[in-house]
Amino acid sequence: MAVCPVYTTQSLNSTCSISTPSKTHFSSHHNHLVFYRTSKRTSKRGGSSSCVITCSAGDSQTVVIGLAADSGCGKSTFMRRLTSVFGGAAEPPKGGNPDSNTLISDMTTVICLDDYHSLDRTGRKEKGVTALDPRANDFDLMYEQVKALKSGIAVDKPIYNHVSGLLDPPELIKPPKILVIEGLHPMFDERVRDLLDFSIYLDISNEVKFAWKIQRDMAERGHSLESIKASIEARKPDFDAFIDPQKQYADAVIEVLPTQLIPDDNEGKVLRVRLIMKEGVEHFSPVYLFDEGSTISWIPCGRKLTCSYPGIKFSYGPDTYFGHEVSVLEMDGQFDRLDELIYVESHLSNLSTKFYGEVTQQMLKHADFPGSNNGTGLFQTIVGLKIRDLYEQITASKTAAPLQATKA
Amino acid sequence: MATLFTLNLVTPRAIASLPDSTKGSPIKVPYLNQPWKRILSPLESRRMQVRAAPDRLSEKVEQSIKEAQEACSDDPASGECVAAWDEVEELSAAASHARDRLKDNDPLENYCQDNPETDECKTYDN
Repeated sequence: MAVCPVYTTQSLNSTCSISTPSKTHFSSHHNHLVFYRTSKRTSKRGGSSSCVITCSAGDSQTVVIGLAADSGCGKSTFMRRLTSVFGGAAEPPKGGNPDSNTLISDMTTVICLDDYHSLDRTGRKEKGVTALDPRANDFDLMYEQVKALKSGIAVDKPIYNHVSGLLDPPELIKPPKILVIEGLHPMFDERVRDLLDFSIYLDISNEVKFAWKIQRDMAERGHSLESIKASIEARKPDFDAFIDPQKQYADAVIEVLPTQLIPDDNEGKVLRVRLIMKEGVEHFSPVYLFDEGSTISWIPCGRKLTCSYPGIKFSYGPDTYFGHEVSVLEMDGQFDRLDELIYVESHLSNLSTKFYGEVTQQMLKHADFPGSNNGTGLFQTIVGLKIRDLYEQITASKTAAPLQATKA
Repeated sequence: MATLFTLNLVTPRAIASLPDSTKGSPIKVPYLNQPWKRILSPLESRRMQVRAAPDRLSEKVEQSIKEAQEACSDDPASGECVAAWDEVEELSAAASHARDRLKDNDPLENYCQDNPETDECKTYDN
C-alpha cells in the first residue's frame, strides 16, 4: 500500500531541488513523480523556479540519527556495526569521488559532517582555527541539506577531501530510509538537533583516548609519544568548549573509562563502559537488568559461569545526567568466550532483539572489530538494535497516520 | 550476451589507457582464455594506486608533525600551533583509515560484489 504525501510549496520552506530518478547507484524502491510548476517567485539559491513533488512508495520520511565523537574514537566501527544490524555492508558511492566520506547501503546512508567545513585545511591554518571550531563549519548548509534529505529531497552535498584537505565538487545524495550524520558537531546547532530522531555521543575519557591514539598512531613514522600527547593537549581547549557540551543533548551516551577491576592498570586494555540512556525519549525504551528502575550490581562469574581474570562486572541503576533522568547500564571487564556473551545477553531485558541470541550473533559477526570483547562492542550493538526498533516504530506510526486521515 | 561482448571489447582499451599499468607494450587479449587476468589487471593498478595513498599520507603526517613542532616553538597557545596539531590529528586519522581500507581489499570479494552470478561467486544457501 503506497503512501503518497503531496507536499505543497508552502511546506517546502527550503529550496526545491530537482532530483533525477534515473542513474540510481543503489536499488531504490521509490517511484518519483515529478511535476514541474513554474512560479514567478525565484528561490534564493540557484534560481530554480520549479518544484518537485515526490511520491515515494513505502516510507515517506527519512529517519535521521546523529552520532557525535572526537576523531579516533570509534565512530567508523560504530557505523559498521550499525549498518550491519540493518543488513548489508555500507560502501562508498560507486563511480564517484574515491575520497568521498559517504557510505551507502540498502537502508542507510552515512554522511560525514566534515563535508560541511566552510574552511579547508589551508583556510583553517591561515585563520588559526581547528576543525572543532564552529567557525570552520557551515551550519546553515548542514541544516538545509539534512532538512531536505529528511523530507525526501536529494541534495548535492560538498565533499571534504581528507587526503588533500580541499573541498571537492559536490556529490548527489539521495534520501535514504535511514540517514546517519556522524562527525564532530551533529548536535551543536539547535536546528539540526531538532531534526534528529535519535542522537548518540561517544564519550571517551582522556586516559583511554590517549591509549587508543597511541595504538593508532605509533605505526606511523614521525609520530612519537610526545607528538601524540601534544596533539591531544593542543586540541583539548576547543574540544571542551565546542564538542563536549553536546553530550547533554544526546539520547544515549556511551562513556568509556579505565577499568576499576585491575588496581593501578595503565595498559588500558580492559575497559569500563557505561551506557547512559535518557528516559522519556519517544520510541526508545532503555535496556535494563533484572528490574527496571532499581539499582543492581551483578557479577555473572560464579558457579554457573567461569570467567578468566579480571572477570566481568555489571551494574544498572537510575541516575541524573545534566539534569535529565537517565538509566545507566555499566559493564566492566572483558568477554573471553562465547558462552559468557550469551549468558549475559540472556539476563538483559528490553534489548529489542528479534530472536534470542541476536546480540551475540551480531558481536560474533564482527569479532575482528575493535571492542568486540568488551562493553564498547556490546553497547554499540545494543544501540544499533535500539535504532532498528526506533526506525520500525516510526515507520509504522507514519503509515498508520495517513490511513486514519483518509478515513476521516 | 551482447553486453558480455561489449564488456570484453571495452576492457583492453581500459588496460591500455591506465598510466601506471605494469603491462608494457603488447596489448594482448589474454583474458579470453584466462578470465582471471581480466580481473587482475585493473585491480593491480588500483592496488598500486591504493598503496600509494597511505604512503603519501604517511609523508604528509611526518611533514605536518615537523610543521606543528615549529609553529609551537614560538607560542604554544597561539591559534597557529593549535591549528597545526589539529592538522596532524586529521592526517593521522586519514592515514589510519587508509591502512584499514587496504587491509580489507580482497580481490575475490571485490569481484563477487559486482558479479554475484558468475561461477566463482555463486552461493548455494538452501
